[in-house]
Amino acid sequence: MATAYAAAVQELIDCLGRLPGVGPKSAQRIAYHLLKVDATEANRLARAITEVKDKVGFCTACFNIAEGELCMVCADTRRDAHVLCVVEEPRDVVAIERTREFKGRYHVLQGAIDHLQGVGPDQLRVRELVRRVGTDEVTEVILCTNPNLEGEATALYLSRLLGDVPGLTVSRIASGLPVGGDLEYADELTLGRALEGRRVVESENKEH
Amino acid sequence: MQLRHLWLTDIRSYEFVDLELTSGLCAVLGPNGVGKTNLLEAVAYLALLESFRGAPTDALVRAGADRGIVRGEVTEAGREQLIECELRPNGRNRVLLNRQRLARTSELLGALRVTIFSPDDLQLLKAGPSARRSFLDRLVVSLDPRQDAVRAEYERALRQRNALLKQTRGKLDDAAAMTLEVWDTKLVTAGEQLVARRTEAVSQLLPLVSDAYRDVAGIEHHVHLEYQAPWREDGLAASLQRVREDELRRGVTLVGPHRDDLFVSLEGLPARTHASQGEQRCIALGLRLASHRLVDQTTGAPPVLLLDDVVSELDPERSAALLASLPPGQTLLSSATGLPTGVEADQILEVRPGTIVEV
Repeated sequence: MATAYAAAVQELIDCLGRLPGVGPKSAQRIAYHLLKVDATEANRLARAITEVKDKVGFCTACFNIAEGELCMVCADTRRDAHVLCVVEEPRDVVAIERTREFKGRYHVLQGAIDHLQGVGPDQLRVRELVRRVGTDEVTEVILCTNPNLEGEATALYLSRLLGDVPGLTVSRIASGLPVGGDLEYADELTLGRALEGRRVVESENKEH
Repeated sequence: MQLRHLWLTDIRSYEFVDLELTSGLCAVLGPNGVGKTNLLEAVAYLALLESFRGAPTDALVRAGADRGIVRGEVTEAGREQLIECELRPNGRNRVLLNRQRLARTSELLGALRVTIFSPDDLQLLKAGPSARRSFLDRLVVSLDPRQDAVRAEYERALRQRNALLKQTRGKLDDAAAMTLEVWDTKLVTAGEQLVARRTEAVSQLLPLVSDAYRDVAGIEHHVHLEYQAPWREDGLAASLQRVREDELRRGVTLVGPHRDDLFVSLEGLPARTHASQGEQRCIALGLRLASHRLVDQTTGAPPVLLLDDVVSELDPERSAALLASLPPGQTLLSSATGLPTGVEADQILEVRPGTIVEV
């Protein structure tokens, strides 16, 4: 099919169309928008992209997003180096940081096992995780991959891989009912998992 | 459960249709090829979110239109719900329940339940096991809509496992072996849940199916159903282990619920190979009737019945008997030859090219 656009415009549309969540129609709309706006505006976007690719890379320790060698968490010496929280994506680090509950460090896998997308353990930062855990500093690993099928499979894989490391505790983040939610609206799988992960209620007057 | 009001915009042969439907028996009449099945297909879409004829969604949108809309107002036990489906061949379909957009379409399942009898039902006996598995899976979901998640989880685990098997290209190194074991675990958990639901549905259906056959065929014959899962004796985990070599070579999962079958026999003989064409038709109708009654008993409200051109397949006496044996509820019946004698409709809709009129 012969292209209806000038080559440069077509190239822009193609590049935009490769971005996540941008379909062919949106790509076209954004391209036309960029053609219409001021050169300064468009250049600012171009510069922002170049700059972020120049300055920002991945942390050499945990593969979170980092400006420089180490990410903000790894560079912070007050963080507990004995506990590692394993997540799929850098945005999951942000989510857990927001809770202010976690004082340890992270390991970003940069994905989950998903063979349909051609991603196996070798495509993830698994080898690096094993190397980190091998150092005597780490005593606990918390698997915080997503509670979907691929995330669960990744967690299961890692728990088997790390299960034999002496002196290491491996745990899986609990999944179940959302706080403030109603039991009757929970779906079967969520409720089933919440029941599986139930906890003994600590009674305050146990001694009596 | 009753579909009170139905609106179609740019669906199949219809530009716009606005129908009020009564309870009881509604006859949809008209010559062949005028669009009777299209109407039933649209009603079923509100319940299944797919065509019961196996047509892709695109095919449901009227030629030349860029989207089609099916809207239906359903009442059950005094509760009124509005289901709206927007079908877009060049984009994502949208589903709204009571004007709220659904995050997952599975949330809709159960808002409208239907039982469909169609000439294709004969495939239940004639075709391969997949037709019978999806019959069972649909029954499971009709009995409890939340069970759909179990089937979805199994199918996803299966697709992942098959992708891994294909990628190993017959050679299993230590890393791949460990990943495969992970998927085995996932497949086994989801598979055993799925099969537990299917076998439970079969055991509930079994006491009803011979009676249903008698009501359809007019003869007392014993119909037996048996869920066949060759892996069950040793368990899925062990069975997967046994076929591992083969699976690696062929790059596909060879045992599990996705290969099971529902074995149907008539008077002790396999129905697929030994029953006559007429008997097979009666068994297929009997299976539908039995599952309709089961859903009625379990949920306390009969699904809306869609009888697509069923009366033309049975002699008039048998179709009258079938209609008489149905539990009370709403029925939409399409026919090119009219109603069997002695059957009174509560509403008659006449389908003309591109439109439907009440007579």
